[in-house]
Amino acid sequence: MPFEMLLGAWVAAGLTLFIFTFLYKDNPLFKLAEHLYVGISVGYTIVKVYDTVIIRLLYEPMVKQGDWSLLVPLGIGMLMLARYFPKITWLSRIAFAFIVGVGSGLAIPRIISSYILKQVEDTVRPLVSLAAEGGPTFTYNLLDPASNLNALVLLIGVVSVLFYFFFSIEHKGPVRVAAHTGILFLMISFGAAFGYTVMARMSLLIGRLTDLIEFADPQYGRASLWLLLATVATLIVWSVRRGEQKEG
Amino acid sequence: MTFAERMLHIDRRIIFLVIGVCTLVPLLYPVGLAIKVSPEVRSVHDHIESLPEGSVFLLSLDFDPASKPELYPQAVALLRHAFQKNLRVIGMTLWVTGAGMADQVITQMARDLGKENGKDYVFLGWSPGVGSLIITMGQDLYKAFPSDYYNQPTKELAVLKGVQNLRDVNYVVSLAAGTAGIETWYVFGKDKYKFELGGGCTGVIAPGLYPLLRSGQINGLIGGLRGAAEYEVLIGKKGRAVAGMDAQSATHFAIIVLVILCNVFYLSIRASRGKADPR
Repeated sequence: MPFEMLLGAWVAAGLTLFIFTFLYKDNPLFKLAEHLYVGISVGYTIVKVYDTVIIRLLYEPMVKQGDWSLLVPLGIGMLMLARYFPKITWLSRIAFAFIVGVGSGLAIPRIISSYILKQVEDTVRPLVSLAAEGGPTFTYNLLDPASNLNALVLLIGVVSVLFYFFFSIEHKGPVRVAAHTGILFLMISFGAAFGYTVMARMSLLIGRLTDLIEFADPQYGRASLWLLLATVATLIVWSVRRGEQKEG
Repeated sequence: MTFAERMLHIDRRIIFLVIGVCTLVPLLYPVGLAIKVSPEVRSVHDHIESLPEGSVFLLSLDFDPASKPELYPQAVALLRHAFQKNLRVIGMTLWVTGAGMADQVITQMARDLGKENGKDYVFLGWSPGVGSLIITMGQDLYKAFPSDYYNQPTKELAVLKGVQNLRDVNYVVSLAAGTAGIETWYVFGKDKYKFELGGGCTGVIAPGLYPLLRSGQINGLIGGLRGAAEYEVLIGKKGRAVAGMDAQSATHFAIIVLVILCNVFYLSIRASRGKADPR
């Protein structure tokens, strides 16, 4: 096995175990892994952004291909740095105005079309279908998203939740019934979201444990087992010394 | 203190231990519980299956290593399927922190299936802009990515022959761990340039994407590790996702039991307090 693979396995197994030690309590091993994670993420991002934006998208086209029109976006981007110089801070507003203007112009029509119009279009569905013979029919299949029963459930859900968030009138009588129905729909929605979140978190745990099992293999020098022993021993020593310090 | 009260004040580390054991044991001794394929995962699979050889498939790996356990198996399964179907694969990412990992998975899968960089596939890497990047890709792919991840000029690549912009891409799948991801691809891409779009995502964001699925804004959705396992079943190549499903079921069972027990203890405490103080 190549040395870099072996080293990678030991680093991955060690940092995973260090992070898991937080389940026992906050400790220096966890802090080490946490700080490394933050530092490496930021360092990696800086290097990738420098390489892609400064070198590939600006320096090379300008210097090697003579595309000097890129000086315009470069100049606007540089204005951002004026924030650090109090006397010319106002210059940065030009860059921000450009970003806000272009960003809003691009996003607003697209978001209205995608999130509002398309979703409203999908919510307003026929409550009754036409049968093959031409007469009206009502389909009851809850498992079919296109059934009339589901269209009805969707309509009741949307209207009742909107009633729940309608604060201009007191929730009494029929409005109260509608608002309470809305709470039921919201609870089901939160439950589904929480269920998915639990599944996702368990998947992350499964992913790390799968790697730890793999790195416990002899071809990796049983990295997980040795590092587990070292981690537990370090935690014991740390706990004992901390206890002594408290007593002292 | 009653038994129920002691249980409700149990050291949370014992619960961590229970969950850890419930995860570890099925990983070491799998039983192979059945996996049922959902229609939303099948839709992504069937669409790729329907594409003729040489079609252009763009896979946007919009996640970083923090979401690797859920989305990496999805990427492996999708790439395996696309390469086996002899599709022309374009890889990219909207997440700068995911660039290295995205390159790793594409290169690894291509090597395993005997595909050649530049001829059968290309990894474009990351470029800034997110929404404006997608719009630029919709107008001119070569302006958005003048060179690929390895600094090869994209105009000279055989894999991109006949591909001028996103309208020439037959199918786009975004594997997303949040924003930027599937929604970004829809808002700035599909809505304007009319290509077919599918998605894969982490479990956390899956419920928020179902409205897009129902309205037809995306044609399919692979949700979390479970979705990856379903896709592995569909392509007949069981991998890490299928291996994790027993553990997933065991942990879910443990959590359900813990929730029921907590409620039983809570209600029994309430009942005993009610007897002691009838007012």
